[in-house]
Amino acid sequence: MGKGGEGGVGAGKNMAAWLMGVNTLKILPFELPPLDAHDVRVRMKAVGICGSDVHYLKTLRCAGFVVKEPMVIGHECAGIVEEVGSEVKSLVAGDRVALEPGISCWRCSHCKGGRYNLCPDMKFFATPPVHGSLANQVVHPADLCFKLPANVSLEEGAMCEPLSVGVHACRRAEIGPETTALVMGAGPIGLVTMLAARAFGAPRIVVADVDGHRLSVAKSLGADEVVVVSPHVQDVEAEVARIQNAMRGEVDVVFDCAGFTKTMSTALSAARAGGKVCLVGMGHNEMTLPLTPAAAREVDVVGVFRYKNTWPLCLEFLSSGKIDVKPLITHRYGFSQREVEEAFDVSARGGSAIKVMFNL
Amino acid sequence: MGKGGEGGVGAGKNMAAWLMGVNTLKILPFELPPLGAHDVRVRMKAVGICGSDVHYLKTLRCAGFVVKEPMVIGHECAGIVEEVGSEVKSLVAGDRVALEPGISCWRCSHCKGGRYNLCPDMKFFATPPVHGSLANQVVHPADLCFKLPANVSLEEGAMCEPLSVGVHACRRAEIGPETTALVMGAGPIGLVTMLAARAFGAPRIVVADVDGHRLSVAKSLGADEVVVVSPHVQDVEAEVARIQNAMRGEVDVVFDCAGFTKTMSTALSAARAGGKVCLVGMGHNEMTLPLTPAAAREVDVVGVFRYKNTWPLCLEFLSSGKIDVKPLITHRYGFSQREVEEAFDVSARGGSAIKVMFNL
Repeated sequence: MGKGGEGGVGAGKNMAAWLMGVNTLKILPFELPPLDAHDVRVRMKAVGICGSDVHYLKTLRCAGFVVKEPMVIGHECAGIVEEVGSEVKSLVAGDRVALEPGISCWRCSHCKGGRYNLCPDMKFFATPPVHGSLANQVVHPADLCFKLPANVSLEEGAMCEPLSVGVHACRRAEIGPETTALVMGAGPIGLVTMLAARAFGAPRIVVADVDGHRLSVAKSLGADEVVVVSPHVQDVEAEVARIQNAMRGEVDVVFDCAGFTKTMSTALSAARAGGKVCLVGMGHNEMTLPLTPAAAREVDVVGVFRYKNTWPLCLEFLSSGKIDVKPLITHRYGFSQREVEEAFDVSARGGSAIKVMFNL
Repeated sequence: MGKGGEGGVGAGKNMAAWLMGVNTLKILPFELPPLGAHDVRVRMKAVGICGSDVHYLKTLRCAGFVVKEPMVIGHECAGIVEEVGSEVKSLVAGDRVALEPGISCWRCSHCKGGRYNLCPDMKFFATPPVHGSLANQVVHPADLCFKLPANVSLEEGAMCEPLSVGVHACRRAEIGPETTALVMGAGPIGLVTMLAARAFGAPRIVVADVDGHRLSVAKSLGADEVVVVSPHVQDVEAEVARIQNAMRGEVDVVFDCAGFTKTMSTALSAARAGGKVCLVGMGHNEMTLPLTPAAAREVDVVGVFRYKNTWPLCLEFLSSGKIDVKPLITHRYGFSQREVEEAFDVSARGGSAIKVMFNL
C-alpha cells in the first residue's frame, strides 16, 4: 500500500477507494508517503470517474497497463492544500487546487523537449502500479497543483482533467478561428473536445453520434449542428454527404472521440484535402481503413496521449466563462462504500450519465 | 488529340507516344495547342518512365483516374526552349529547362494557400484527360519550366520530378539534422526519398526492403544501414527490433514508400513516441492496422500527394552535388516504336531497373 506517515494532525485515518479485483472496490486505509520538500499534502474534495477507471474496475487492464496488486483508483481531482513542503513557494495551506495527475522524470528527451506526456517513466494517478486520488488526502508535487481562480469551483477544478484531453487535442489539430471541426462521438470526451474547439475559436462545429439523446446534449452545449449516424461502415458515404451539408462547407478537422473503424472511416472521408483527423478515442485497437486514399489527399492523422501544459489554459477558460463544464456533471455521490459502488455502476452504464463526481 | 498548330518552323510533324488501350502504345502525331502569352514551346530531350505511367499502360487506371480516350503518356521531363510567348520574361529560346507537370487553377483556396498540389482542377501531364510529355515537343506555362544550372544535365532535369516526391515527403515529415529516418522500400521512390533525406541533413538513414539487390543499391547510394524484411505481418515485432538496432537509437521518422499493410504496420511500430510516419507509397488501398496504439503514442501519419515548390530546391541539390541521381538511371532508350515498347516492358518488370530514361 502506501508508505510513511498517516497524514496530518487530527486528520483521522486517511481512507481511499482501492481496486481489489475485478468489479471489487473497497474503501480502506491509504498510508501517505512522507512530504518531500517540493510536495504538498492535499485534502481531496472533488473526484470524477473516468472511462479508464471503469475499464480497470471491469478488466484490471487499460491500454497495455495491467493491475497486478491492489491500487487506489481515480485521477480527476481537486482539493484544498493542508501542508506544504519546505521548498514550496507557489502554494500555502488553504489554497484550492486542481491536480495534474502525472509526474514525469524531467531527465529524458521527451521531458526536456516539452512533450513530457510521452515520458516513458511517467507516474500517473491510477495507472498501475501508481496509486490514484479517490482518497481523503494525497501527497503530490506542488508544481502539478494549480491554484483555482476564485470563481472556479472544486468540481470544475476536477473537470480540468478530462477537459485537458480536449484542449490538447485542439492544439495537436491546430484548431483556430478558421478551422471548422467535426466531432465524432458525443460522450464525455467528445463533449469536452467540442467545448475546447469552441474556446479555441472554431467557427462551426458539427457533432455526430449514434445516440440521439447525447446529440441533444451536444446541441444544448453549443454544437452548431448535430448528425445522427449509424454503426455500419457501408453508410460512410451517405453520412459524409450529410455531415458536409451540416458543415455548410469543408471539414478542416475531424476529432474521432470514439475510435472505431466506422468513425475513423468516416473521419478520413469527411476531412478536406490537406485537413486533419485527430484520433482521441480508443475504441478499436486494430482497424481496417482506407488510409492510402486519405494520405493521397494529404489528410494527416494525429494522435493524442493525455495532455501537456493544459491546466493554466483550462482554468483560464473556466474562469473567463469561455467554457462551462458544469452541465457535464450529471451525477454526484459522497465517499462511502455503498456510494462508491453505485457511482461506478452508474458511470459504467453510460447513457444519460456524462460525468459522475464524488464530493468528499 | 491536341489542338492548334503543328509546332515550329522546320520541326517536322510533332510525334508523341500515345496510350491507345491496355498494353498498347503507339507513336503518332500530336498536335500542339497554340502558344499562349505565358507559355513556352519546349523540345523534349529526356523523359523518364514512372510507375504511374506503367500502371496506366497495364490497366488504364491509376488512383481513381481512368483513361477513357487515347492519351499521350509520360510526365518526368526536361528539354530545350524553342519559342516563348509574348509575356514570357524568365526564359529565352535555347534555355535548358526541367518541367513541373501540373498546372493549377490559382483561384481556389488550396492554390491561394500555397498547397496548389491539392487543387481539384489540376491539369497534370498524363493524368487523364490531360496529355503527357513523351513527345518531340510540348507547350507549357513558362513559370513551370525551370532553367537548369550549367552543371545539371537534361537527364538530371527529368529526374527532378521523381526527386520532388522525395523532397516533398521530407518537408511534410520535417526532416532535418536531428531526425533519424527509416525508409521502407528501396524502389525508385524509396531511393529518391533516401537521397532527399540525406540532403535535408538526416543524421542516420536505415533502408528496409524484401529485395537484397535493391538494398545493395541503397547502400551504395548512401544508406547508413540496410535491413532485409519479409512480406509477413507476423514478423513485424522482430523486424522492428532489428531496425531499431540498425538505427542505433530511436526512429524519428518513417517513410513508407511501399504502402502495404505490412510496411505500414512496421512503420507505426518502429516510429518513436511523438514521431512521424509519412505514407508515400500506394500499395494497398485499404489496410488493417494497429492505428490506435500508434495514435496513443502520438505517432502522426502524414500523407503526400505529388509535391509543391520543389523544382528550385531539387536543382540546387543537383547543382551543388548534395544529391546525385545519375546512378538511378539504369536503362536508356531512343524514341522509336520498338524502343518505347521495350522500355515500358523493362520498367514494368522492376528488378534491377530503377529509372528507365528516353533520350529524344
